[in-house]
Amino acid sequence: MKILIIEDEAGLRESIEAYFQEAGNICETADSYQAAMTKINLYSYDCILLDITLPGGSGIEILKTLKANNNKDGILIISAKNSLDDRLEGLDLGADDYLVKPFHLSELKARVSAIMRRKMYDGNNILQFNEISIDLSAKTVAVSDIPVKFTRKEFALLIYFIANKGKVVSKNAIAEHLWGDGIDLADNFDFIYSHIKNIRKKLIEAGAHDYIQAAYGMGYKFNDK
Amino acid sequence: MKLLDRYNRVNLIAAIIIMLITGGIYYLAISSILINEKDKSLEVEEHEIFDYVNLNHRLPQVFESPDQQISFKQVPKNSVTRQFINTIYYKKYNEPESGRGLISFIDMGNAYYRILIVESKVETEDLIQIIFSITIGVILLLLLALVIINRLILNRLWQPFYNILGELKLFHVSDTRSIPTLDSSIDEFNELHKEVSAMATRVKQEYQNLKSFTENASHELLTPIAIINSKLDTLIQTENLNEGQSKLLTDLYGAVNRLNRLNQSMLLLVKVENNLLKDENLVDIKALTEEMVIQFEEIFQSKNLNVTYNLDEKQVYANRHLMEILLSNLLSNGIRHNYNGGEIKIELNNENLTIENTGDELSLKEEQIFTRFHKSSHSEGSGLGLTISKQICENFNFSLNYNFQKPYHQFRISF
Repeated sequence: MKILIIEDEAGLRESIEAYFQEAGNICETADSYQAAMTKINLYSYDCILLDITLPGGSGIEILKTLKANNNKDGILIISAKNSLDDRLEGLDLGADDYLVKPFHLSELKARVSAIMRRKMYDGNNILQFNEISIDLSAKTVAVSDIPVKFTRKEFALLIYFIANKGKVVSKNAIAEHLWGDGIDLADNFDFIYSHIKNIRKKLIEAGAHDYIQAAYGMGYKFNDK
Repeated sequence: MKLLDRYNRVNLIAAIIIMLITGGIYYLAISSILINEKDKSLEVEEHEIFDYVNLNHRLPQVFESPDQQISFKQVPKNSVTRQFINTIYYKKYNEPESGRGLISFIDMGNAYYRILIVESKVETEDLIQIIFSITIGVILLLLLALVIINRLILNRLWQPFYNILGELKLFHVSDTRSIPTLDSSIDEFNELHKEVSAMATRVKQEYQNLKSFTENASHELLTPIAIINSKLDTLIQTENLNEGQSKLLTDLYGAVNRLNRLNQSMLLLVKVENNLLKDENLVDIKALTEEMVIQFEEIFQSKNLNVTYNLDEKQVYANRHLMEILLSNLLSNGIRHNYNGGEIKIELNNENLTIENTGDELSLKEEQIFTRFHKSSHSEGSGLGLTISKQICENFNFSLNYNFQKPYHQFRISF
């Protein structure tokens, strides 16, 4: 997958680049409006991560140019502006998703994966991971064709893990992904543990590998092996 | 006391005192003039007697007269001094009246007579009385007119002042409305208005600066927090971390998370206070509450909380996003300050939504809990949750109140 990261903050840009590169993607970066414009006019990407506030111009202008060129790249806006208007403007102009800073890299990865899945949708909306197949439209899970009952949150968590396979995902990131940032209970992550335990149990009972590994006390890792 | 009343009171007292003094002086002056007149008429009479005696060498005959009495009395020589007296005028049929008399004497050589001429003073007194009452009447009328005119004119004159006062009463720093211009020809009021307007503008400006400072500061914090977050996400990918390092990372995550929440809360508070989230719709509170309860389900379970609810249909005009935040804040509070195995009760009816939870045995102080950054010592919350909740309620004209009914802490939103 070829990704363009348009972000002026070096620290953030490098982290995103490193996170996506490890997963076998090709990443290019642009740190200003001009650099971004040059790249989008020369190359095409599977997904573009677009910051709105850039030196030299606005990310909104880049978005407009992309859409004017009838570009089919997936576009995910990453912005510090968390107002409904900005969000709506971005989505109205044709962005695929909008992620507010600060975010977890795992969340970003999950959003990008979702965009890519939608882009590559070919009538059959099945996400296959080894022996696990997930029907994204019907929201069902099957292991080696045996259906396994998953709750809504367990389903969301499984997709999240698969999008971030091979990565340690922190408990904070999981909590935010499942409960949104409306729930302010940073002091209590016990409820995540029971979800993970259920998913593992269901998958193992259906004959799947034990993919989920606890990473010390920090989080969980979905192993590819 | 109103300025006008005070002014009128002083005016009135001064006027009455001056009126009494001048009235007295006036009375004295008029009566002395009239008595003088009476004395002259008595002297004329005396002269007539003298003339008669000089001509005829005998006393004149005294006739009955309606307003004058003359009497002669033989007395020892040189026993009488000439003088005017106030005396009584006896009438035959009527009651005695006050009179003015002249005692004089006549020496006829062989006989020495005392002469007493008395004239009734009734007419004089009547005259004084009439003049005096007319004068008093005029003064009173004048005074009354003065008070009424003062009242009318002063009320009109002070109207700009009351306008400015009214504007000051309505003044609110977060209000965008400016003080309307004043239409007055009085310099003092124009100056007052100018200064009040300038002050209001200044205060609002300062308040806006303060708010945009909070907003900008929070905004500027977002990028560094995003960087720390992403670096932590990268750091935990490191293989072979030992237990100590993992503990450090977990703590760092926790701290960054709190920092982030605090920052988000401040941004939200600024937005709610500025009433920037205007998008209002009909929100189904019952459905929203049910959604929230489902959302929180795992968290209730992890703390073994017994949640009971009784929800009636209720819809309100509000911003859905803010109502979500409001409910989520109150439920989070109910969980955070609860003990393991405690209770949460939610009740919704047409008038209010009540969320009750068990927790500490002590009542909280209502005036404190809604202030910014007030929180219990062991709480990991931002300390802004209830402030935001209260502000959200105010935006939609709801009220949010706290009550402690042992063992329940009760938060009630009244629609």
